[in-house]
Amino acid sequence: MGSSQSMSEEVRELVSKTGFSSDQIEQLHRRFKQLSGNQLTIRKENFNNIPDLELNPIRSKIIRAFFDNRNLRKAPNGLADEINFEDFLTIMSYFRPIETNMDEEQLEHCRKEKLRFLFHMYDSDSDGRITLEEYRNVVEELLSGNPHIEKESARSIADGAMMEAASVCVGQMQPDQVYEGITFDDFLKIWQGIDIETKMHVRFLNMETIALCH
Amino acid sequence: MFLLLPFNSLIVNLLGISLTVLFTLLLVFIIVPAIFGVSFGIRKLYMKTLLKIFAWATLRMERGAKEKNHQLYKPYTNGIIAKDPTSLEEEIKEIRKSGSNKALDTPEFELSDIFYFCRKGMETIMDDEVTKRFSAEELESWNLLSRTNYNFQYISLRLTILWGLGVLIRYCFLLPLRIALAFTGVSLLVVGTTMVGYLPNGRFKEFMSKHVHLMCYRICVRALTAIITYHDRENRPRNGGICVANHTSPIDVIILASDGYYAMVGQIHGGLMGVIQRAMVKACPHVWFERSEVKDRHLVAERLTEHVQDKSKLPILIFPEGTCINNTSVMMFKKGSFEIGATVYPVAIKYDPQFGDAFWNSSKYGMVTYLLRMMTSWAIVCSVWYLPPMTREANEDAVHFANRVKSAIARQGGLVDLLWDGGLKREKVKDTFKEEQQKLYSKMIVGNHEDRSRS
Repeated sequence: MGSSQSMSEEVRELVSKTGFSSDQIEQLHRRFKQLSGNQLTIRKENFNNIPDLELNPIRSKIIRAFFDNRNLRKAPNGLADEINFEDFLTIMSYFRPIETNMDEEQLEHCRKEKLRFLFHMYDSDSDGRITLEEYRNVVEELLSGNPHIEKESARSIADGAMMEAASVCVGQMQPDQVYEGITFDDFLKIWQGIDIETKMHVRFLNMETIALCH
Repeated sequence: MFLLLPFNSLIVNLLGISLTVLFTLLLVFIIVPAIFGVSFGIRKLYMKTLLKIFAWATLRMERGAKEKNHQLYKPYTNGIIAKDPTSLEEEIKEIRKSGSNKALDTPEFELSDIFYFCRKGMETIMDDEVTKRFSAEELESWNLLSRTNYNFQYISLRLTILWGLGVLIRYCFLLPLRIALAFTGVSLLVVGTTMVGYLPNGRFKEFMSKHVHLMCYRICVRALTAIITYHDRENRPRNGGICVANHTSPIDVIILASDGYYAMVGQIHGGLMGVIQRAMVKACPHVWFERSEVKDRHLVAERLTEHVQDKSKLPILIFPEGTCINNTSVMMFKKGSFEIGATVYPVAIKYDPQFGDAFWNSSKYGMVTYLLRMMTSWAIVCSVWYLPPMTREANEDAVHFANRVKSAIARQGGLVDLLWDGGLKREKVKDTFKEEQQKLYSKMIVGNHEDRSRS
């Protein structure tokens, strides 16, 4: 990247918005250019060029998460057609590691954001609840590669897990009570006391450059 | 008008004399040694001088950068994120452990399992192993070629002059010299092999064929100013064997064939390549395939087996990766050549990118552009290691054998050993790979599912 003044303005803005360091932003910018083929925006098709991603069973959900308006903080539902570098960084910022100098409030906020990202991954129709159907859908995707598991088994696994979630959130249900789905608050309740922040981050290599001159 | 005439003839005379001198020098210092396989050591001296100059240039750039208080080196090439080497099972166990107080062995699905896949997905989006291998390696010091310079702003006046001098030498002196040599080498090859083809079959023909081939390849090596160091020459391939090597560029063929006598395998091309191929096959049996035959794997395997079983025929030279890789890693070896059952002689080739990057990025440069780039670099410096021969063991399948050979080559050459297919340069991942992770995960979930009673 050139060292012109205007670029560092933008970079500074991005640093304050997303919390990445300017070095990390530079590298991610390089990666963005590589993925987008030197265009200004990325579309869904550009993610098809990553061979390692093909191995991932929930790759379509991950890619979708990049274009999800809720994650981009643009709208309460719907999908964007293409994202620019700032949007790319916004999504990446959900996976930033926890900094040691964060106070309680920042930590709580960070955690909530990460969990919200996951919630959006499950809740594909953006109605604010993870219904049984949506849950089943995720389980099926995760297990889809195994030919020995029939759809029925996948469903029953999902049903069982859903029931457990329900019991945590609502307690014992009456026989005629219908459980509508896991809301975000219920989702938070499930994860209370569980340390997920350390599992939901990507660690950047220490980018201190080699000592230049002797 | 009068003044021009003697002037003209003077110029013509000078031209004539200089050409003769040049030609004699060429003959004495380059072609004659090539014929006899000896070397004056001129290239090694050249290499040492260049190294000294590069070191000086790098120092100047560092000084320049320090004055401006900027960063010069950016260690990107090994990736920008730290990927956890833990496996799927370990991670999911850990996530569940930190969560519920349920027994660890109950195989069931948890909301948290999605974390692992989500994170892995993100990591690959940020940085993946494969796409890196298909672009040229970045250098840490500058070798006075503008094509490898990423830090233009740190060049002082002195460096610019040096660089300009370098351009002059490379384009006006080295390039014509190299083109002349290449031309000589190729035409000698065509003419020589055709002539040898007229000889009656016998020991004399073989002797002549071998030496014509070697001589022409040696001239070509000098045409590229390739400085090659061969290691462990006692392991060189013998008749009835298959020689496999990692592939970085079409020059690999010239490098290996100038030190040994091989039978080539490949597709018949049209044009100049075709002429060369047809001439070569007159002198000794190479294995050329028509375009239509290449698709038929059985036919290919049959012809190769036939060749290999005839002990009088030469060792076959094959590049199992199937495409050019940028010489920082070795990618998947196609199993075809390992199914034949002959002794495999692995060879590792490692180029030193300081003098000229030999990697052929076929999506970026055509063949002619590539050759021009090669001929305007300083030199091609590489090391060749002949590894001890390997054979397929009794209950080993071809894929496993191929991977074993690949690891040996990667280890010797100091390259990264990757399982990925070089074909990914142009195609997408095969479905069979995609399903591996899903199978593993689902085994974990369903494993003892039969025992579990549902409420």
